[in-house]
Amino acid sequence: MKTRNSNNIEPLRVAGRYKGYSKEELKRNLPRHCKFSPYILKQINNVADVTLRNSGSPLAKKINRMMKEVFSEAYRAKQFTRTEINNRGVLYGVVLLKHDVIDLVLRYFHERWPKCIVCLYNEHSRKTSLINEKGFIKEIKVPLIEVVEMVSEKHPIMPYFDDIQFSGKDIFETLYKSQFIKKRENPHYFKQMIPDHCYKLPGMRNGTEKRFLNNNRKLDEYIF
Amino acid sequence: MPSTLEKIRILGANSRYDICASTASSRTDKYPRLFGKSNDWIGATSSGGICHSYTPDGRCVSLFKTLYTNKCIYSCKYCYSSICKHKLSFTPEEYARTFMKLYSMNVVEGVFISSGVCGSADAVTEEMLEAVRLLRFKYHFQGYIHFKCLPGLSQYLLKEAISLSDRISINSEASNKEFLAEIAEQKDFTNDIILRQRWLKSLREKYNEKTIKELKDLEQDNYGKLSFQEKMIKERRKNGYKAFRWDGAPILNGGQTTQFVLGAVESETDWDLLNRIDWQYRKVDIRRAYFSAFIPIEGTPLGHKKPAPLEREHRLYQTDWLLRIYNYNLNDLKDIVDETGNLPNGDPKIHIARVYFKEHGPLDPNHSTYQELLRIPGIGPISAKRIVNLRAKKITFKSRSDLKSVGVVLKRADPFLKINGHNQTTLNNFI
Repeated sequence: MKTRNSNNIEPLRVAGRYKGYSKEELKRNLPRHCKFSPYILKQINNVADVTLRNSGSPLAKKINRMMKEVFSEAYRAKQFTRTEINNRGVLYGVVLLKHDVIDLVLRYFHERWPKCIVCLYNEHSRKTSLINEKGFIKEIKVPLIEVVEMVSEKHPIMPYFDDIQFSGKDIFETLYKSQFIKKRENPHYFKQMIPDHCYKLPGMRNGTEKRFLNNNRKLDEYIF
Repeated sequence: MPSTLEKIRILGANSRYDICASTASSRTDKYPRLFGKSNDWIGATSSGGICHSYTPDGRCVSLFKTLYTNKCIYSCKYCYSSICKHKLSFTPEEYARTFMKLYSMNVVEGVFISSGVCGSADAVTEEMLEAVRLLRFKYHFQGYIHFKCLPGLSQYLLKEAISLSDRISINSEASNKEFLAEIAEQKDFTNDIILRQRWLKSLREKYNEKTIKELKDLEQDNYGKLSFQEKMIKERRKNGYKAFRWDGAPILNGGQTTQFVLGAVESETDWDLLNRIDWQYRKVDIRRAYFSAFIPIEGTPLGHKKPAPLEREHRLYQTDWLLRIYNYNLNDLKDIVDETGNLPNGDPKIHIARVYFKEHGPLDPNHSTYQELLRIPGIGPISAKRIVNLRAKKITFKSRSDLKSVGVVLKRADPFLKINGHNQTTLNNFI
């Protein structure tokens, strides 16, 4: 069979992971779960790798579910957190994280805005987490606005960020509406892409997307 | 003077039928970053992009996707721009600034810049490139940029577009000259599309060969990668960005793509499209093809036509996946295409498997090759690789549950599998 792949990857190399997680991955990431107990780690240490990777065993099922919850929460936060940036290079926003994944979310924003200080307020823990230009993370129990003010005081106004100080909410709303093709409407698929629980996230509560939810239809739309 | 919002509303609506994926991971950590590891650069493409929103049709909105201008000398019969009464254009500064605002809000992941052809393709592309230059060198954006090559574009501008963007696409629209003439008579299929695709291939290969070779030489060199990057950065400072050479990163990592309008020409069949795609994969090295089911727009010459079924789009994407990822041959698909030249309803992989396994009989995963495993529905490249790797470690599959634990979807794979000499019978077999 012809190989169309231009880079010469060995065809039998496993792309991605084997099923399940390694013990190291579990030890590193399971403590992030809000319902984690050290007893689970003890159990993991006593069980063979094969049993953990076999999704049929009850322990593996539980662990996989917990890991999935942790990573999907981090992913949803990266997707749906809406941020603002001020003219002093402070990027800030609000998140709702039950599990301890704030560092993953902060690093995501830090990778994209390495010059900025990123502040994220977690509504669940009521703490504000910061990551600075060097990648150091700090967590403090102070409201977001105060943290942003405190950090901003120490930084001068930067022309780069000053240039993008205007409201973007309308711009995104207009862009979003312009992309929708009415004839291709597919509420089921839409719901799959943005499940209902995502509308509880701070960035999506008043989001444009919510207005297009199926249960938000006006009576007129049913009549005509 | 129209406001930016008005421009986004109209130019965004004009480009909504264009398809693109922001999730293309255009660069990897394998190569040095495009601009080195300086903290001055904003944005990231080393991992796959994230979709920040979805429209009610389920498609993601993760790129700033608008036309640069909807003024166009072409009058393609399916196109919204040709009948849109409001003719508007962005300015490069306005475009770049608006995008950076959206990027700071974490609502978009990159840029998709396309345009109507106002006057000459070169003049519009110059302006589009100016917007991209501003993004790259004023706003220091090193994230994902998808650039649309306009029909009739000069080679020197294409060269510059290559050096500035992650992905370039040229819309094929139809599978051959005759079909294109039916929907866009002013476009020349050979010159405007095929020739430009060939240029893209040769330019990219030439540039990347050079950079990969330099990288390899430097890895053997005592000084290592760091001195190479330093050398490149110095060179950039000396010559300005036009002579700027990417810091060893092979350019245009997202490759080139293309797009087809499905169902605008009635006589165009799925087989015609598959033939063209296969040719493009082999000859011009396109990364992937997109299909856009034709939707009639009132006021256009094709406004009275029936829309193409979305199902057709789905089948073609599935088949394209078989060609691209599963390395199926075009001849394998020939067996399932009906007399009219179209794909049947249902998963094409299952149709191909029914034909193939009728001849060859069910397969034993303990003795089949990687390519044979790929033919079984429910087994994809990853589970096939897992099976082959486990077999290499002398692990045999004794039951169906063994296969399930490596990720095989038994529901689909069962009728085509033989484990320990036994085949899972189905109700159909009895009937």
